[in-house]
Amino acid sequence: MYQVSEKVISSKWISLTPTNISSLVIDSLCNQFRDRDVAVAGLYCDYLSREEQSTTNMLGAILKQLLERDGIPDPIRQAFHQGKRVLGGRAVRLSDLVEMLETTISSLREVFICIDGLDECHPTNRRELLESLREIVRASPAVRVFVTGRPHVRDEIKRYFTEAITIAVIPTTEDIRRYLKMRLDRDPTPGAMDDDLRAEIMRIIPGEFSPMWVDQPT
Amino acid sequence: MERITNTQSFGPGRNVTNNYGKTVALNNKTITVIETDGEDNQIKQWLSPLEPRHKHQSVQTSRMDGVGGWLLKTNEFREWSGSEGMPKHTVMFCYGHPGVGKTCIRLVRKSSRASGYH
Repeated sequence: MYQVSEKVISSKWISLTPTNISSLVIDSLCNQFRDRDVAVAGLYCDYLSREEQSTTNMLGAILKQLLERDGIPDPIRQAFHQGKRVLGGRAVRLSDLVEMLETTISSLREVFICIDGLDECHPTNRRELLESLREIVRASPAVRVFVTGRPHVRDEIKRYFTEAITIAVIPTTEDIRRYLKMRLDRDPTPGAMDDDLRAEIMRIIPGEFSPMWVDQPT
Repeated sequence: MERITNTQSFGPGRNVTNNYGKTVALNNKTITVIETDGEDNQIKQWLSPLEPRHKHQSVQTSRMDGVGGWLLKTNEFREWSGSEGMPKHTVMFCYGHPGVGKTCIRLVRKSSRASGYH
């Protein structure tokens, strides 16, 4: 007679992950600074794309986004043509990329770099990425970095950025209520639901989670 | 008119003017197709074949309005992103478990049994 729990549990809590926080932060920064000389670049690390997500590809993806505002400057165009002259074409080098990023960032008033799921990067690439970011941050006071990841990369980040502020991404009771409401509203067989059951779900489930997940940011 | 572009940035109003646009008609819709053989696109491809924008767009679609909004309201985030002067912290790290869903799902089962629904 009661089938709703199956429908609720059939879905992952996709709305409550750090990746969604990353996308929320990117959108919020874009909206906040829409009319100003501020650039926002995002990068989503993915365990399944580790091979493609080399350090140079990741930094190159950030650079591409920063170039969208003012176009490609001559030094980068020249580096591309020089690379093409080498037999088979030469891939962009990490040290060149870091330099290009520093130069590009210096031409912008403020830059936000948002990196999602840092733990999903290959450990070697992650170290190179963090080293490069540290170099860029040191050279460019205009840059700010937002990173999400699993708790175990926290110490690694602290090693590279001792001053980094850390915060736990955990759904609040309100997040859970909102999510439940959305799931119940989208129930494909609303006939199995009545107001009492709905009220009970809304009462019991957030209560079950709140002591577990609502935590103070550290 | 629908415009498909591979040079659109994350933010609204950040569409980049592209010289390689070609307009074609498809299923009664006018679509601008961006050719990828322009030098700018070659350079972008040389810098990186990754397109984080695609992932961003799919996450954006699955994301629920308002969820996680508490983070944007914390003093830490506001100070980090703040526009008045440079913040004390250049780097902000948010950590969590992408696997949080599984634990929640198990508890949903438990709670519905506890309340007598089967």
